[in-house]
Amino acid sequence: MEMEIHDFKQLAQEALADHRKARGYNLRLFLKKKLAVVSALILVGIMLSAIFAPWVAPYPKQGQGAINLEERLQPFSNKHLLGTDIYGRDMLSRVIFGARVSVFGGFFIVIMAALIGVPLGLWAGYCEGASGAIIMRSVELVLSFPSALVAMGISIVVGAGSMTALIALVIPWWPWYTRLVQGEVLSLKNMLYIEAAQMLGYGRIYILFRHLLPNILTPVIVLMLLDVGPAIIAIGVLSFLGLGTQPPHADWGLMVWNGAQNLLGEWWIAIVPGFAMFLLVTAFNIFGDALKEILDPN
Amino acid sequence: MSKALIDLEDIETWFPYKKTLTGKVTAWVKAVDGVTLKIFTGECLGLVGESGCGKSTLGRTILKLAPLKSGNLRFNGEEIQHLDDRGFQKFRPKMQMVFQDPRASLNPKMTVLQILSEALAICPEVDKKQYAKRATELMNMVDLRPEHLFRYPHEFSGGQQQRICIARALATQPEFLVFDEATSALDVSVQAQIINLMADLQKRLGLTYLFISHDLSIMEHICHRVAVMYAGRIMEIQDAHALFASPRHPYTKALRNAVPIADPTQKDGMAILKGEVPSLRSPPGGCRFHPRCPHATGHCRKEAPEVSPVKPGNWVRCHHHKDLWKRGTLGG
Amino acid sequence: MDMPSKTQQTPILGVEDLTVSFEGSRGVIKILEGIDFTLYSGEVLALVGETGCGKSVTAKSLLDLIPQFSRHRSGRVAFGGKDLLNLSSRELGRVRGRSIAMIFQNPQSSINPVFTLGEQMYRLIRMYLQNEIDVLCKQKKMNKKAAVHEIAQEKLAEVGLTEANRLLKSYAHEISGGMAQRYKIALALLSSPKILIADEATSALDVTVQAHVLKLLKEMSQKKGTAILFITHDLGIAAQICERVAVMYSGRIVEIGKTIDIFEEPLHPYTQGLLAAVPRLGNSDPLRFVSGMIPDLANPPQGCRFHPRCDHRMAVCSNQRPHYNAKDRDRSVACHLYTSKAAG
Repeated sequence: MEMEIHDFKQLAQEALADHRKARGYNLRLFLKKKLAVVSALILVGIMLSAIFAPWVAPYPKQGQGAINLEERLQPFSNKHLLGTDIYGRDMLSRVIFGARVSVFGGFFIVIMAALIGVPLGLWAGYCEGASGAIIMRSVELVLSFPSALVAMGISIVVGAGSMTALIALVIPWWPWYTRLVQGEVLSLKNMLYIEAAQMLGYGRIYILFRHLLPNILTPVIVLMLLDVGPAIIAIGVLSFLGLGTQPPHADWGLMVWNGAQNLLGEWWIAIVPGFAMFLLVTAFNIFGDALKEILDPN
Repeated sequence: MSKALIDLEDIETWFPYKKTLTGKVTAWVKAVDGVTLKIFTGECLGLVGESGCGKSTLGRTILKLAPLKSGNLRFNGEEIQHLDDRGFQKFRPKMQMVFQDPRASLNPKMTVLQILSEALAICPEVDKKQYAKRATELMNMVDLRPEHLFRYPHEFSGGQQQRICIARALATQPEFLVFDEATSALDVSVQAQIINLMADLQKRLGLTYLFISHDLSIMEHICHRVAVMYAGRIMEIQDAHALFASPRHPYTKALRNAVPIADPTQKDGMAILKGEVPSLRSPPGGCRFHPRCPHATGHCRKEAPEVSPVKPGNWVRCHHHKDLWKRGTLGG
Repeated sequence: MDMPSKTQQTPILGVEDLTVSFEGSRGVIKILEGIDFTLYSGEVLALVGETGCGKSVTAKSLLDLIPQFSRHRSGRVAFGGKDLLNLSSRELGRVRGRSIAMIFQNPQSSINPVFTLGEQMYRLIRMYLQNEIDVLCKQKKMNKKAAVHEIAQEKLAEVGLTEANRLLKSYAHEISGGMAQRYKIALALLSSPKILIADEATSALDVTVQAHVLKLLKEMSQKKGTAILFITHDLGIAAQICERVAVMYSGRIVEIGKTIDIFEEPLHPYTQGLLAAVPRLGNSDPLRFVSGMIPDLANPPQGCRFHPRCDHRMAVCSNQRPHYNAKDRDRSVACHLYTSKAAG
């Protein structure tokens, strides 16, 4: 049963086609869940508007802070679809520009937390020992403080500002990733394919990145997606307290704070950005759950 | 008689079980507790025993995947028990292992080609450009189609996955292979295919095997000699046919009689061995088997029996084996 | 081994045309297709086959232990004058554990880890053996608790567990596999069930322990007249303790008959192939095996599911599904090689 192979490229392509068909099946499964599709569309819509804010927003200058006192406190109208705030700025534009901070901020926190937390978790799970113990005790230490207070404390000490708030939020955030990854690694490290790699003589770093990391990626990605929502809310809270984005920049949290005083009268000033936050967070949650079902049926 | 490829002398592999706060070990699991045996070039040595007897640990000890506490380990005459990772690396290509669960032995995120290449990468003489060609040869050797190189493990059946594991073990052109319950998770007909493949490869490539299993029935189909392990020690080692036709150790006889024979006309009744498999944390003193042995005497309780040779390469550890043999209580 | 003549044996379970299929992601998966067999009182019937043949599903279907989601079921399971497949879950709950008991492969995992073995056993004794408890209380002037404990000791002794006091105070993880399985057998037999289903009950045990448990099951069956449906992939077990064997392949029973007949003269090509592949102690001939692989249940072959691997296949095999060649379900084979002959 000898077979000569002259064309690996063709074989590779055939296999690739089969794998794409399998992934295509996953895509079809995803599309069947209408809610997931809707949430995905919402996310794409919000992110695109955020990126192209200067072109998408009807009143870009107002979105960035320009005041327009003649038209202040106006409800929904044809000229201003979502009304205006106390400075007469178009709410729709403010929300679109505010999305920039929220979306970028949310991703930043989650990605940085993963970049720090995942390698630490890999090490702590696989190597254990003294270094592993130090890592896990640090995790427990950071997690024992309420995350909001930690972030607030750092912001107050360093000085309020949007970048500071983001970095301050990463500090209480990374331990969750370390814990997740350490748990996954502990269960995976007794797998026989790890032992097979050890039998071939491969070292720890190789095994961590070549064998363990690809196999824990799915739960990490799912956690990241489900975390973007809470991260955005956390940014909002800090801004609400004056520790994040500084006026006149648009920020959903800040906008809710500014509009809270007028809640009984011109309610839209607080509710519109609040609803935007709600929409974005819910969309991420639904998308994350749907993705988890697809990636993890095995 | 060919020379010994693997030479084990008084091997002890103990795992720490209880430690004081300062780190001093107070209790050990004595998985391998004094094993001396030779595996000759070109033979297939079977290692049979029940769960918890230490046979898997012994296989791993030879490949230095389990911590050797004391004893001498020689490969082709060279001592390797003291070597560190760097010193041992040149031996790794020569000794490989096929594990029990084929699904768990293959990284689900790697293609077959990547898995085989990972093994090929530890051979300095194989050039990277040769990997694909060499991988194809390996696939042919285990009767798999080369198209499957680009597939992922979950796309194969259990039998095929085990063939991939065998191909990986052969990638480095080893001299010695350990099969740790390699067919236990497979169906009967698939097991038959794999056993035939293994026997064929041994002949073709001149390999030496250590075949570990709890299934006695399969031993004679592939092994030349079989060793019976109990509570961390080898009780008996004989030529395969002789071991089962005329065992010299009471445990071997009990083991053999306990196997349900696939022949409804042979119902001698499965002999019942009393007691439970001993814990490796506190194995019985004297002869390990004495609490369950129907022929045990006070001597057995006090003193562990030495090795009594029966034939070159065949021996038994039992104080009374000569008597039992003469009385015919064991044979047949 | 003596077997009572057919007229003395009463059928207690009649499975007719049991078909189970699932709607999976890749289409409909027909796990079982037309399973047909009878279980007689007091006998031990083996259901043998390899992975994916559906033997475990068959057993679990009898007691509706298969998850119900997207499952389709048809056929009839006659037991005690009723059709088990048509019972409400309440009525079926009364059958389970009481008239039909089941033991599984991993005994320790099927014991509740939170309670001691004693607590679980006492509860069942109070449920099924009220009469005995009352009798003991009156005769020996015991209180209920002591009576229950004494019954527990007695039942454990029957299965060879002598250190009852210590055992009843232990938890699942503290005992060995052999002890756990014997304990489960004791529990299963408390209600004196008519049928005991053993699903790979000894596969996770060491061979010396397995010998104990098999002997115990055989004795229990003979003493109490319990019929045992023994599901296994090990033909040795079938040969040693079972009086009849049903061979399954890919969701169908391909051959059924007395153990001695099946082993000495296997009719179905799959049975022949299976027996040739079994390793035998004392035999060093190369093992022979059937080429090919078990079919994909989502896309099984048309007609006889074994025909792509069969050396004797004929044209009709790829078109028509073979049925039992004899009305007598007790020695039949589902194969076109035999249906062309006169039906028995």
